[in-house]
Amino acid sequence: MIAAITGTNLLTFLITGLTVGGIYALSALGLVVVYRATGVVNFAQGAVGAIAALTLANEFIGKGRPEALGYLAAIALAVALSLFYGLVISPRLSRRDPVVRAMGALGFGLFILGFCGWRWTARIQKLDLPTDEWSFKIGEVTVTLTRALVIVLALVVTVAITAFLNKTRVGLSMRSLANDRELSSMIGVDVRRAETVAWLIGGVIAGLSGILFGATKQLDAASLTFLVIPAIAAAVVGQLKSLWWTFGGAMLIGVIESELTNFRSIAPYKDITQLAVGAGVILLLQRSRVVSFIGADR
Amino acid sequence: MKHRAMRKRAVIGAVLALSFVAGACGGDDDDASSDTAAPDATDAPAGTDAPVDTAAPSDTDAPADTAAPSDTTAPADTAAPAGDSPCLVSGDAATGEPIKVGSIQSKTGPDDFSSSGQGAKAFFECVNANGGINGRPVEFLLEDDQWTPETASQLGAKLVNDEAVVAMVGSSSFVECGVNEPLYESEGVVAVYGTGVPRECFHSKNISATNAGPRISALGIAQYMVSEYGAETMTCISQNIPNTGEWVCTGLQEWGETAGVTVRTLLHDPANPDFISIIQDAVSDNPDAVIVMEPAGLTVPLLAVAEEQDLGDATHWGGPTSQYLAGFPETIGEYWWGRYDVQAELTTIDNTSPDNQAWLATMDEYGEADDPRDTFSQAGWLAAKIFTDTLLAMDPEAITREAVTEAIQNVKAYPSDLNCGDWYFGPGDRHNSNHAGRIVTINDAGEYELVQDCQEHADPELEDVLALEESEGLGG
Repeated sequence: MIAAITGTNLLTFLITGLTVGGIYALSALGLVVVYRATGVVNFAQGAVGAIAALTLANEFIGKGRPEALGYLAAIALAVALSLFYGLVISPRLSRRDPVVRAMGALGFGLFILGFCGWRWTARIQKLDLPTDEWSFKIGEVTVTLTRALVIVLALVVTVAITAFLNKTRVGLSMRSLANDRELSSMIGVDVRRAETVAWLIGGVIAGLSGILFGATKQLDAASLTFLVIPAIAAAVVGQLKSLWWTFGGAMLIGVIESELTNFRSIAPYKDITQLAVGAGVILLLQRSRVVSFIGADR
Repeated sequence: MKHRAMRKRAVIGAVLALSFVAGACGGDDDDASSDTAAPDATDAPAGTDAPVDTAAPSDTDAPADTAAPSDTTAPADTAAPAGDSPCLVSGDAATGEPIKVGSIQSKTGPDDFSSSGQGAKAFFECVNANGGINGRPVEFLLEDDQWTPETASQLGAKLVNDEAVVAMVGSSSFVECGVNEPLYESEGVVAVYGTGVPRECFHSKNISATNAGPRISALGIAQYMVSEYGAETMTCISQNIPNTGEWVCTGLQEWGETAGVTVRTLLHDPANPDFISIIQDAVSDNPDAVIVMEPAGLTVPLLAVAEEQDLGDATHWGGPTSQYLAGFPETIGEYWWGRYDVQAELTTIDNTSPDNQAWLATMDEYGEADDPRDTFSQAGWLAAKIFTDTLLAMDPEAITREAVTEAIQNVKAYPSDLNCGDWYFGPGDRHNSNHAGRIVTINDAGEYELVQDCQEHADPELEDVLALEESEGLGG
């Protein structure tokens, strides 16, 4: 069954789709930045964001502690956890298969998820941000400043990191690592420094996105942790390399998902968009090639 | 270069595959078995009366209770020793051979549905501290299926085959009933369920829940929308989980066809963050009412979005008993006060009736401070009480799985003021003894207020259950 598709409906779900796309984009950008420099698909990013959001909501807001300090502490915690994984655990897996490295990050994320479940047991929680108080209307949809911030932040991160990669020496090192890690280290690229910066940026993005997602989505550790899944599809659109393609892919997935709401018979299955887009890009990329999990073509 | 490009594609492919596998993994591992330790001994004199009626909360002008518990053939009024402990048994701390009892909860995952197990656990700890079941303590093995059928299956096999539990009590799961019912039947185990959620929990020979289930709960709030607001069109929002969301909303549609109410089903993936689309879609047909059939955790962001869009007065809003818990009105915020109604499958949390007060006292004394005081906790507590009272009537040396199964199946009317009618297990191929409930509203002060006391909730699917009640004299 198809709902009455009108201009109003299309605009309504375009706007809602962009707000969801912003969530996917911010997550995916963090993944791409870390992957480019380190070769690790950071499955722990969602969990790192979750613990930041839950720390802010449970330890600061309404607890008589300065809220501003709470925001700083939440992001600092995310950065610390990101650096801990990147500098302490990840190097021990650096010579292992990429899939093993990804699973290492997933394991770290599940550990954080378990900690959150142990530390904060409240069944229902909500994170209200000051930016929730301001809103504006586009068509039939009211957009809060928080939701708008998600989109703007995703855009700013894309522009800023692109500039950082193109204009700075560390950025050059990160681009070099993305092209060929072994060759880069042989010609004297400071791998450690580049990776540290990447994990730091990944931590900041995870912390910020965790707080924003916690306010716009369900404030729940599992829910925020596995938000990394749709982000993967967007990152795949950018081949885990291009920030702008990643941003565009995220927005496209968000908008398609949302517009599918107009088609009521398939709307309950609109999440398949992520798989369809991700798998479609992979099929396009490796036409006439056989790819194995160890990365060797036959 | 070519080789690197190929390797990159391989990584992308592997990562995408992994990501979708990981998405199905659920949450963390938190399934530590929890054996109830027997606390210090307490002396408890005998002498309590059976509960007789349910008092409405003092802040309401709702009608008085309509369903006083009836006579029962259950062990509850035959041999249960009484005491002044909240679990109504008396004696020193039990030291005999433990009676193993299993329970499976959906704790980690999209929402924490474990308060039923916590209610049962508190009850059994109370029992163990006050004489046990004729001197034998209950070893309560509480497990977490993490919303994962595979885990639920493994836990079922562990409890039934390895631990050889005599029964399952106070379980609360989104996935377990369908997975383990064949095992329960083949091994002759009965489950006195706390909080049944999917259809299988109410369509199984060896499972009988103390709660009414989400379908009855949805019908209760929908029928209230008709009687109170004259609703003729509704949207039912629920999760796209097999035998849960669709079963619930289809129930509304089937009933709607007989009652002249048009009901639209709106299913969604619980992991999708596109809440604005869900809410915009729900109100797009201008329904007279929107029934939010979600766990409390997911209801909070959905209502936050509806508040953002200022849709509180666009329609009438209501939900099932999962949204009847302390802290919910405060969490959803002042915007919803005076705008949201909830069905309660068991009695109101602040009811002064004997069993409800006993439940509260049990939780205060033997539960954790942050254990939810909600309907599901009541349901788990009641399941444990039914089990305990049934076994108290048995020879403690003759408590085997076979004997327990027979005794539980012979319970035909167990009165409790927590329910509107009597609970039963009985001989049926399926069980749904609780099919009446109450309606509370979140008033302008942000408090739950009883607005409709015990009321039968009509469901076309209940015809066989009602017929069996009539022919076998089941229930109250």
